[in-house]
Amino acid sequence: MPLFFYFYSMKEIKYTLIALFSIFLIIACSGDTDDDADQIPEFDRSTILNNYVSNIIIPRYGDFKVALDGLKIAVDDFTQTPNTGNLQKLHDDWLESYKKWQHIEMFNIGKAEELMYLQKMNAYPADNSRIEANVSSEKTDINSPNDFTSQGFPAIDYLIHGVATDFESVSNVYSNDSKYGNYLKVLVDVMVKNTNDIIQDWSSTKDSFIQSSGNSNTSSLNMITNDFVYYFEKGLRANKIGIPAGRYSGGDALPTKVEAYYSSKNAFQDVSKILAMEAVTASENFFTGKSLTGAMGASLKTYLDYIHASDVNKENLSPMIINNFQEAKQAVNQLDGNFITQINNDQLKMMNAFNKLQAIVVNLKTNMLSLLSIQVDYTDADGD
Amino acid sequence: MEIIQSYFSKRQESTSLAFFRLAFGLLMTISIIRFAVKGWIQLLYIEPTFHFSFFGFEWVKPLEEYTYILFIICGISAFFVAVGYKYYISIITFFLSFTYIELMDKTTYLNHYYFVSILSFLMIFLPANASYSLDSYLKNQSYRYTPKWCVDSIKLLLFIVYFYAGLAKINTDWLLEAQPLKIWLTTGSYDLPFIGNNIMQKEWFHYFMSWGGMFYDLLIPFILLYSRTRIYGFLLVVFFHIFTVILFPIGMFPYIMIVSSLIFFSSSTHKKLLNIILKPFKNTLNNLKEVNRVIIKREKLAISVVILFFIIQFVFPFRYAFYPGELFWNEQGYRFSWRVMLMEKRGYTTFKIVNNENGKSFYVMNDEFLTEFQERQMSFQPDFILEYAHFLGDHYKNEGYNDIGVYADSYVALNGRMSKRFIDPNIDLLKEKRGFSNKKWILPLNEKINKL
Repeated sequence: MPLFFYFYSMKEIKYTLIALFSIFLIIACSGDTDDDADQIPEFDRSTILNNYVSNIIIPRYGDFKVALDGLKIAVDDFTQTPNTGNLQKLHDDWLESYKKWQHIEMFNIGKAEELMYLQKMNAYPADNSRIEANVSSEKTDINSPNDFTSQGFPAIDYLIHGVATDFESVSNVYSNDSKYGNYLKVLVDVMVKNTNDIIQDWSSTKDSFIQSSGNSNTSSLNMITNDFVYYFEKGLRANKIGIPAGRYSGGDALPTKVEAYYSSKNAFQDVSKILAMEAVTASENFFTGKSLTGAMGASLKTYLDYIHASDVNKENLSPMIINNFQEAKQAVNQLDGNFITQINNDQLKMMNAFNKLQAIVVNLKTNMLSLLSIQVDYTDADGD
Repeated sequence: MEIIQSYFSKRQESTSLAFFRLAFGLLMTISIIRFAVKGWIQLLYIEPTFHFSFFGFEWVKPLEEYTYILFIICGISAFFVAVGYKYYISIITFFLSFTYIELMDKTTYLNHYYFVSILSFLMIFLPANASYSLDSYLKNQSYRYTPKWCVDSIKLLLFIVYFYAGLAKINTDWLLEAQPLKIWLTTGSYDLPFIGNNIMQKEWFHYFMSWGGMFYDLLIPFILLYSRTRIYGFLLVVFFHIFTVILFPIGMFPYIMIVSSLIFFSSSTHKKLLNIILKPFKNTLNNLKEVNRVIIKREKLAISVVILFFIIQFVFPFRYAFYPGELFWNEQGYRFSWRVMLMEKRGYTTFKIVNNENGKSFYVMNDEFLTEFQERQMSFQPDFILEYAHFLGDHYKNEGYNDIGVYADSYVALNGRMSKRFIDPNIDLLKEKRGFSNKKWILPLNEKINKL
């Protein structure tokens, strides 16, 4: 700026600026009066962040923690006194916390991302030979990425449903060799510790998270929306349905890659479908802003409604996505409770569920991200 | 003929070219350093395993860790251009290295990179080291005048950039729907002095900015050309580009345009600016032996090349007219045409590999081969989709599959329209050749965006 002052008189510059500014104001004001009739209040993105953090993320983590603490007690009881009653209790608590986990897996952000929480909690299929090796070597430090598939829910699944084929013989394994129980305790302790660390971190970063309501690549809404979309595409659609159904493997089904494989395989309980349904519901809740208590709040859905009401686009996207979710839930519901059976008997039904989930991915990644102008990657390259 | 001859014999004080050389060289040096500091060399050129090439330039690839050397060469030559040291070798080196960098991966294509490439090509033919340069200091010779056409050619290039950007804005999406500004401004988050956050979400403001942007681009070259309005024009340039800096992640481009548009000022202004910037060297520079007018070697040849260059520049952006279908949808003839900020376009494209021997098929996970940035760009641009499909074909043939087909499952959303299928899912893309012929396998938008 000082360059102009060097060549032109102050007066000239002053008048020019005043002229430009008044033209701008005149247009601005005249526009404003026309606009009053159908004025839509400006949208505040921090309300979405507030709802997500205060009514979904933190309560869901709290809910999960309660279940996980129950799981820890069940592990302690069972390892202390291995019998079928305690094992049944352990199985029930494992499933209960695994279900609640489906509601927080998508929040791979902040401390969770830093701790590689997602990879440590739910990387499947579990590596049974490595788990056996860890058990017999009495390994206690499982921080290495090589141990991602020998810890968390999938590893517990193997340890309580995979070392033998019924509760009694599993329970005998633990009576005969205390190393199994010790490893189980190591696993659940790591899960509890990481979960507590993340819960603590959320309570201290909550406010700054909500305040970062801009539209840059690193703002909270962009990060969490990207995490959600990524989770839905990979964690849910591909991992739970697509990969085991053979979508990425030349049509050859890979039933060993279903979630909670050993529980289904050894006929303890068919849980893959229960977990998948839970995950679809969790995603829908995130999209619509439905909290743990069932209350509705600001969300991606209400933001899309606002965009539509502001005449940015002609058709409203949010009812379409909600409709997609209904269809996806129906398609998943039609599957056999045991995904291994489903894949072996009728792969097409599995593919149908995949396609319904795919429709959601298309809507999220093309229409929603476009209308909310959220970049899908974090590469901070220039635009033009 | 005489008019032409007398035009080409006109002269202008050498300070204009000297100033432009210095400013352009410095900005380029900063740009290259910034690029490196941001870690983009690693991220964009070294990490990816696959690179998207411009058709005909498949041989231009990143040079692994030597890519850093390429950037160092480019940065040093930019600095040499700025100080005017071995100017001709430096500007040729800069043009070649910069253009090579841009051709390595078209994922990073930006109009302003293209602008830098062709501007540095033009500068090869201009004696921009005639004064205020290390060359003239070392030769103890400073030229007072350079040919007027040299300065005018830079103005003409800027004229084309602005005017064509304005012409491209004359389309129904931009003017009648205020798209894509409507999306970007409504969802943006800005807290500006005077303007605030409120205005940004108002519909009238989207139209105001769309129409204002069009008129700005079309008129600004004329406002800058005319001496009495020039200063106002320049204020507008500053205002407009600073505004875009606030709104969009746009990098160095606004600064390049602001500084470049100073070329429209008079040589005496440039002289004053030079004397401010080069104050410590003022005495040395003013004591050089002054020679009247620089002689360009083979000036007629230089003029012919420059004229040919401009004919191409004038015609090239209209090549889209040879392709049927919607330009914004098919993007045939979209690049290298100063079409800036016209589209909010997103795609989602996955590929199915079909084994023709047994009919079995599987889908590809794109993140096995592409970075997120590449996947995003690939997903809505047909030439990327085809190139990637061929890459996948080659990859799986190497894995032992013999007779395969590659099919795209692709959806694209453009300027607020709901997404629809983009690529014909029944077409085996391996059977389609890369090139400039019409891509019939793109499904039509079925909607016309009227444009000039």
